[in-house]
Amino acid sequence: MPGTPKPSTREAFLALARAELDGRDPDTLLTQTPEGIALRALYTAEDLHRIEHLAASSGQYPFRRGPRATMYTSRPWTIRQYAGFSTAEESNAFYKRGLAAGQRGLSVAFDLATHRGYDSDHPRVSGDVGKAGVAIDSVEDMKRLFDGIPLGSTSVSMTMNGAVLPILASYIVAAEEQGVPLAKLSGTIQNDILKELMVRNTYIYPPAPSMRIVADIIEYATHHMPRYNSISISGYHMQEAGATLDLELGFTLADGLEYIRAALSRGLGIDQFAPRLSFFFATGMNFFMEIAKLRAARALWAELVQECFAPTDSRSLELRTHCQTSGVSLTAQDPLNNIVRTTIEALSAVLGGTQSLHTNAYDEALALPSERSARIARNTQLILQHEAGLTQVVDPWGGSYFMEALTQELSDRARAVIAEVEAAGGMARAIEQGLPKRRIEEAAARRQARVDRGLDVIVGVNAFQAPEEPALELRVVDGHAVLDAQRERLRELKEKRDGIAVEATLSALRERARSGLGNLLSAAVAAVRVRATVGEISAALADIFGRYEGQVHTVQGVYGSYYQGHAEWAALRARVVLLREKLGRNPRILMAKLGQDGHDRGAKVVASALADLGFDVDLGPLFQTPAEVARQAVDNDVHLVGISTQAGAHTMLVPELIQELAKLGAADVRVVCGGIIPSADEPALFAAGVSLVFGPASKLPEVAAKLLALLEHSSEAT
Amino acid sequence: MTAALKLAEALRSGERRALAKAITLVESTRSEERDLAEELLAAIGAPSVRSFRVGVTGVPGAGKSTLIDALGCHALAAGSRVAVLAVDPSSRQSGGSVLGDKTRMTRLSAEPGAFIRPSPTLGVLGGTARRTPEVILLCEAAGYDLVFVETVGVGQSEEHVANMVDCVLLVQLSGAGDEVSSMKRGVLEAADMIAFNKADADRAPAANAEAASLRASLSICRGARVPPVLVLSALTDAGVEQLLAALNDYGAVARQDGSFLLRRIAQRRAWFDSALEEGLRELFTRRPDFALARAAAADSVAIGASSASSAARRLLTELLPTVRG
Repeated sequence: MPGTPKPSTREAFLALARAELDGRDPDTLLTQTPEGIALRALYTAEDLHRIEHLAASSGQYPFRRGPRATMYTSRPWTIRQYAGFSTAEESNAFYKRGLAAGQRGLSVAFDLATHRGYDSDHPRVSGDVGKAGVAIDSVEDMKRLFDGIPLGSTSVSMTMNGAVLPILASYIVAAEEQGVPLAKLSGTIQNDILKELMVRNTYIYPPAPSMRIVADIIEYATHHMPRYNSISISGYHMQEAGATLDLELGFTLADGLEYIRAALSRGLGIDQFAPRLSFFFATGMNFFMEIAKLRAARALWAELVQECFAPTDSRSLELRTHCQTSGVSLTAQDPLNNIVRTTIEALSAVLGGTQSLHTNAYDEALALPSERSARIARNTQLILQHEAGLTQVVDPWGGSYFMEALTQELSDRARAVIAEVEAAGGMARAIEQGLPKRRIEEAAARRQARVDRGLDVIVGVNAFQAPEEPALELRVVDGHAVLDAQRERLRELKEKRDGIAVEATLSALRERARSGLGNLLSAAVAAVRVRATVGEISAALADIFGRYEGQVHTVQGVYGSYYQGHAEWAALRARVVLLREKLGRNPRILMAKLGQDGHDRGAKVVASALADLGFDVDLGPLFQTPAEVARQAVDNDVHLVGISTQAGAHTMLVPELIQELAKLGAADVRVVCGGIIPSADEPALFAAGVSLVFGPASKLPEVAAKLLALLEHSSEAT
Repeated sequence: MTAALKLAEALRSGERRALAKAITLVESTRSEERDLAEELLAAIGAPSVRSFRVGVTGVPGAGKSTLIDALGCHALAAGSRVAVLAVDPSSRQSGGSVLGDKTRMTRLSAEPGAFIRPSPTLGVLGGTARRTPEVILLCEAAGYDLVFVETVGVGQSEEHVANMVDCVLLVQLSGAGDEVSSMKRGVLEAADMIAFNKADADRAPAANAEAASLRASLSICRGARVPPVLVLSALTDAGVEQLLAALNDYGAVARQDGSFLLRRIAQRRAWFDSALEEGLRELFTRRPDFALARAAAADSVAIGASSASSAARRLLTELLPTVRG
């Protein structure tokens, strides 16, 4: 019927809003997200028009509403807490308590020495053994880890990428010796080397042989382990390294496409392995966006796999994922607030439709979780599952004007990221060119600057600080004790085993690595059966493949651009210029990582901000020994060495560094530390000669001010 | 013994810290330290003629550092002592810099026979640090006989680095086809050798084709002295040993035909010229009376009262006799 058309909801809203805002433009209510999405104050039915498959059910292409039709109504998500402590026995006891307390699956955290393929008695790893997870040197350790835990009925997830062959082989042999056939094993191996090369840095071999290992494992699992997820394609570490959610989503799915191509190159059919690919995302504090990310991930993956590989089995299109609440969102200040953060993050994972979930403990910005904090973390999920009624309906957000529009918008952005990667020749090539690393580092520098400037509020950190920090009981790891115990076990193992058989299996492994023929995992299993160690198997492969040394890049100018015209920053710049006059050069700092801890986001953000202030910053390679760092400090004649530490190795390695500097006649070089350093460690560090210690979430201008004061003081003294 | 002499002695005896401190000293921007630096440079003695200086240049991402890492390891194995002077650009905004070369030369940086020192450009155009020629001399006095000077690949740097080394190695990225054909003439003219890097397995055929076409076009524009063009992969080490051999050959031939010495003689003249120019420039900024006279002369040129060349000549003849006064 002709006549004046009824105003749309949006028009009605704009009129009403203008009145409420006394005539101000309602567009001032736009929120710019870090992803570059402008959120409007109100979403309406018009926002749904361009969305395809809106009416599709859960369990139906493109699976936006969930990979399975009934979702949690028939089976709730799996509570899977990631844990590993020092020794296999300690971790085993912890796992058993967790299973008794309602946990459904296990998730093993290994120490960094194991990740990087070193036995505990290797001289490079003395500071890392048993620190950030459990030390596993051999199948004997693996058997102790799962002692009394039936591997045929307990699903086990293992976060392992670098030393993936010996660790997965040890798990397989441990199960064999429990009498469990391979076909009954269920769980997941992370086996995602691309994101290691991109952000997490616990790789061992160069990209090409690393990709071969991934494909070998997918191939082996496809033939022998039908219930096992042969890879967990992970975006988690990208978000932890600072990626915005569009980057996390885009890069993760682009990794997935690369892995599919690697498996196809083995002559596997897409439907043989694609149903066993699994994913792993972070859920941070960006509540709506996280829900949208998981919904978009499923739909986008289904579309991409359909477009590129046209499978016939619809399970090949289903993205199943594990989620973990964000580690970087945890604060060292007023840490009980972290319980609230973790709850919100867990809620977004559940509302997004995750298949399993890890919730972080409130004290993890300070140390590995204590018994108490680990229990509360697990209880967070139990409460969501049993008290809040979240399992009663499938995808409660389906059809929401806002959520559906946001899902679509995020999906479009991720698609653009994927297109960029594909245009670069796929993810392996893009990584070679440094594309994803650069994008993530820019995002990380922006985020840090926003927090430091108070543009992003973090309660208890840059606003609403607690009048006094509560005292917490933290878990303390006695590195020396673990180290001694592991060394003793290795000695025993090597005494008892058949050395000739070990050498024969290692030679066979080397031969497969050299020739490119034959599956590396089955050769590793043979070596583990005769008690070859994790370190020996890794070294045998390194004999052929070499050990990869990744390059460290950092962005410049991003952090400083947030402080244009800012008085505090300008004052710091002036102090740098004055110091430059006095010193005859810029203040120079070596930013270094000691031991096997590859978390370098913190070191790089600090490097980038200090360079933006006018420092000359030497970036040291990853995985250094104290002697190597001391030599670099001397050769480059730096004023300061900054040690970034996230995995507890500082207690042993930093005092060693100071001794090494003294040996080289450079006792005047000042050493400062930052990262995850429990306050209990500080007295020992200061006693060893450390000048300054910075906790996590220290604001960079404050860090810079203290560094400058240190240099100003010593330049006057001389 | 003076501090400078002590430092020179420690440096010559191979103390790493002495070399590191000496480099800081000659790079210092404090005028008080300049006298000390000059005393040091005088004390280390005549420049070595046995050393070989190789400039390594190329666009960012061509793999210069990785190539130096690989080349350096081969050279060490062959008995050389290797110094790498890596130059990183300073930010024009903050004056600061991120010096990441050791992360790209991890193997070499762990070798006791190698010394790697990244330096910021500190606003010097041309992509090398201001004191690089002097730093080369320090390294040679400390016993490093093969010196690599790695520069940021930004247009002018090739010519700039050519003025301080015996051989300029241009590193090209394989498979960047278009870039080669549009390569700047100056870049090609400064190059004494060209290496196509990152010719890993599947990219090798393309790289070989690129090298062949470059050889053909070079023989037209460079005539008789066509620089060798090599194809290699620093990552897999394929072709790196051959490159080192080619560099050694280049040095041997240049020594034989005299061009080696002629080039160094010309460079010393050029260093002198630029040192003199720098000194003059500094004189007119540091000395208030000079700055004033200069401003007055500039004013008279600006209003057309005198010509630029005659005002400059008058200023110099009036002021130079007063320099020591």
